Amino acid sequence: MSSFSFKDAFDKVNQGPLPYLIVFAHIVTGTLLVYFQPRSNLAFLVLMSSFLSLYFFNTSNRFKITAAVVMTLLIMPILGVRNIFYLEVIFQISVFAALALGLNIVVGFAGLLDLGYVAFYAVGAYLWAFFGSQQFFVLPYAPGTQPSDLPFLLAGDFFYLFMMLGVIVAAMTGILLGLPVLRVRGDYLAIVTLGFGEVIRVLANNLDKPLNFTNGPQGITPIQRPSMPDWVVDWFNTIFGPLVGHEVNTSHMYNLWFYILALMVIMVIVFVTKRLDDSAMGRAWTAVREDETAAIAQGIPLVKTKLSAFAVGASFAGIMGVLLAASRTFISPESFSFMQSIGVLSMVILGGSGSIPGVILGAATITILNLQVLQGFSLYLNELRQSDAIIPIINFAWSDLSTQLDPAKYQRLLFGLILILMMIFRPQGLIPAKRRERKLALEKTE
Amino acid sequence: MKGFLKYVNVTEIVRPIGQLLAFSCGSAVVMSAIAIGIALMLDKTAVGVDLLDRYNVSVYTYTMINLPQVVIDGLTIGFVYAAIALGYTMVYGVLEFINFAHSEIFAVGAFVGVELLIALDSSGMLAGASLGMAYSYLILAILMGMLAAGGLAMTVERVAYRPLRGASRLVPLISAIGVSFFLQDVIRLVESLTTGQFNRIMPTFGNFDQRIVFGKFAMGTSNITLGISVKSIVVIVSAVLMLVALNYLVNATRIGKAIRAVAQDRNTASLMGINVNRIISTTFLVGGMLGGAAGVLYALKFTRIDPFVGFFPGLKAFTAAVLGGIGNLTGALLGGIVLGMLETFAGSYMGIFTMGAAGSEYKDIFAFSILILVLIFRPQGLMGKNVGQKA
Amino acid sequence: MALLEIENLTKTFGGLRAIGGVSFSLEKGMIVSIIGPNGAGKTTFFNTLTGIYKPTEGSIKFNGKSLVGLRPDQIAARGISRTFQNIRLFQEMTVIENILTGMHVHMKQSGIDTLFRLPTFKKEEKEAEQKALRLMKYVGIKGDVGNDLAKNLPYGAQRRLEIARALAADPLLLLLDEPAAGMNPQETEEITRLFRRIREEMGITILLIEHDMRVVMNISENICVMDYGEKIAEGTPAEIRSNTSVIEAYLGRGAVAGQHEEKIA
Repeated sequence: MSSFSFKDAFDKVNQGPLPYLIVFAHIVTGTLLVYFQPRSNLAFLVLMSSFLSLYFFNTSNRFKITAAVVMTLLIMPILGVRNIFYLEVIFQISVFAALALGLNIVVGFAGLLDLGYVAFYAVGAYLWAFFGSQQFFVLPYAPGTQPSDLPFLLAGDFFYLFMMLGVIVAAMTGILLGLPVLRVRGDYLAIVTLGFGEVIRVLANNLDKPLNFTNGPQGITPIQRPSMPDWVVDWFNTIFGPLVGHEVNTSHMYNLWFYILALMVIMVIVFVTKRLDDSAMGRAWTAVREDETAAIAQGIPLVKTKLSAFAVGASFAGIMGVLLAASRTFISPESFSFMQSIGVLSMVILGGSGSIPGVILGAATITILNLQVLQGFSLYLNELRQSDAIIPIINFAWSDLSTQLDPAKYQRLLFGLILILMMIFRPQGLIPAKRRERKLALEKTE
Repeated sequence: MKGFLKYVNVTEIVRPIGQLLAFSCGSAVVMSAIAIGIALMLDKTAVGVDLLDRYNVSVYTYTMINLPQVVIDGLTIGFVYAAIALGYTMVYGVLEFINFAHSEIFAVGAFVGVELLIALDSSGMLAGASLGMAYSYLILAILMGMLAAGGLAMTVERVAYRPLRGASRLVPLISAIGVSFFLQDVIRLVESLTTGQFNRIMPTFGNFDQRIVFGKFAMGTSNITLGISVKSIVVIVSAVLMLVALNYLVNATRIGKAIRAVAQDRNTASLMGINVNRIISTTFLVGGMLGGAAGVLYALKFTRIDPFVGFFPGLKAFTAAVLGGIGNLTGALLGGIVLGMLETFAGSYMGIFTMGAAGSEYKDIFAFSILILVLIFRPQGLMGKNVGQKA
Repeated sequence: MALLEIENLTKTFGGLRAIGGVSFSLEKGMIVSIIGPNGAGKTTFFNTLTGIYKPTEGSIKFNGKSLVGLRPDQIAARGISRTFQNIRLFQEMTVIENILTGMHVHMKQSGIDTLFRLPTFKKEEKEAEQKALRLMKYVGIKGDVGNDLAKNLPYGAQRRLEIARALAADPLLLLLDEPAAGMNPQETEEITRLFRRIREEMGITILLIEHDMRVVMNISENICVMDYGEKIAEGTPAEIRSNTSVIEAYLGRGAVAGQHEEKIA
């Protein structure tokens, strides 16, 4: 008798028509659960985990793509507008997935540990924040002293142009920052990029004088949202109104709009990443990661190769920055702290550096942990505090628990633990990167 | 006395003191000369006119009035940086690894020391303490900070770094970043649960807040006061003592010899019968203890601490270590002092010299600029040797 | 005109003179060996030649043009490929990808080609893949291992893969650093035959560092002997065999050491 193993059992189930049934059932169960229990976190997790079934179970590519499209473009939006919190969660997942995919190019492919990655995110965000707000006319005023009737510099239509500009400006910033520092050795590079991240944050904090570019620590607000055709709201309400159960207003429609935009950006990023990975440039990145000396002996120029990875990674952050500024209508230097960089790094490391599905899984896991598990835990503790409950044996009244103890604020603990544990026990991540299998056959005709 | 001296390597005590003195005086003189030079140049320009208009003082006079204080502040913070930098540089020398969590080891030392003093204060022991007792308490706090930080550094090495030895360079570094973040929140968690708050203030006791004034002399319409606060003296003296002790440990004892052997070639050292793991642990212990003591001294000087207090001093101390030549103990001292001076001078004068456009708020990124410049133009640091890269 | 002309090449590290004034020239189409005891400066010589180290003094002319001051990647692009003493493959890449990486200097694909998979890109990749497969067979990597990770190959195949990767760049000059180290006599014989074929069929000039005297004496037209960073002799295998200073400086103790190494291997 062979001993029971999880993998054997999984392989047994994972063939024939059974996987289709399982995945389908999972999606339907998740959807129904969230539809009828819109406040349950557990239901939401069931729904989100159906992406995992979709990934791991052996189904045809056509089925996978159809299911993914239905999930992301139909089920998620409808459930999202029923409970706007979920829409926020999946929007944040998308934003972080995009950032993590960008950092993945730098860390996962090229092996350059960039600890200041959010600097490029900040560049994109401040780019639109400056041009898409009144800030241009606030230049001569110290923060808080500007008159209230200033016009906006650019109309919302320009947002779409600025998504493109965000890519270019962030890539250029990446090249400018990278040129001097990419010569230094790997571990120094980590500290130097950390330094650059801080420089950008300090600049954002202090460039409110002599001319007020960034409005200092108070940040810039309001920032223009992109223009959205008027008919979109009516159209959505007519088609999905009965399913949603209530009329969707413009502000909720915007949430949906940004979610769709973020998804589109992710699709572009995945496309670009896959194409680049499987080309001379991608091979050069990996070669540099594996062995710099051997790589340069193959004629791979080190600095140029590293710069290209840096620039491509930065450009992804830039476009997401533009999107963030528009979706929040407010940005401040606080959003671009070192902790954010480490957060994105944790996503890459947790999911599997160099692995596209891994990194997306990492981004989803950490965002859900952040937004739902830690915050849920906070709410639970608060409830306990309000109650008369007492911990038995040690006789501790929950109401005496310090209000400083707010699990939602303990992200550093979470990131730290993830990084340590992954490095010790599973450095390749949850879904390790795989090389592409080539169909190799020597053609006889020569 | 003579019999005792036989066992003590006197040159190893005199040499580092001499070096410290030379580094301090040298950097003070150079920085002052630069500041005065710029001041004289700016006096006739718009900057000088603007200052004259607003405060009725010339740039030169302003610079001179502040100079003594700036030098002393620079020196004090420089010594704190040097003490932390030694922790980075020792570990780097032995393992070629940036112990990113060293800044939190420093913070833990600060918290342990400060909590001890707060406890003593709330039991009323600090209020009426004689000067002698006040100093004893401070020394006790420093020792406790050292113990806690040293023990923590050893534990961290054992748990989070040792299993990763032999993996590629970035793996332990990422783990160290994780430890750093983890410890920040652990400090916060422990403090919130036990005291309900995580910003702690060093109690006021003894004569540490007094200023010793050497003299005043007139300078135009203003006065220059030459003085130094007692705590600055305490910080400088303790730091010098520690640096000398460390130098002695590394250069004149058996353990020190073993540490140097492991730093040079781990495999050969282990063939020579040196227990490499134990030496690495010792290195972390010693580095951690220095960091912990630096933490308590930092708290004494700057009074307020929070769980994230280690971040900037840690980063700057690392810069100092790189500036001096990482892996080189003397280099770390030099780097610390030079960086402390540069930063204090920049923080004090940049605002005036640029008419307020860029002031002390850029002090923190000043260190990074130096780090980047050093890494690009002289990656081996001021005192490091240029070693060929192995192919 | 000689393919490679080196004059008075000197490399010092601090006070240490790793190479001291070596002059050396290499005709096109030859197989030349560099021998010498451990620490004689042979690998440093390769590293200086390929630009990893900057020479302290002296000139290196390749195909009539100076290589001094060029980066290693530029030197590789000029047509010098190499292998390493301790195999340096890209461990986490597949066998085929390793060879494709060797073709980097000849790849013409642009960013646009890559992103949109234009016909030029597809054609280039296809041709490169075919070439890589042929090279894999050529150097004698057996089996259907093109998609295996390089780190999973057996030792001998890893050595061969490194040679295939170097050949992928269509070099004019191939530098081999102890290619037969750690191989058994049969493998050694095979690889020696391979070097001959590379020279005869591809017309590539070969310069190799080797300790195994059977290889050296068997295939070299010329041998250069180094000791303490200096060239102490140069000549045909027969000349070197009878050169007294070589016997004194090297073969006397080297021959013994060589046999000793064989036993270990």
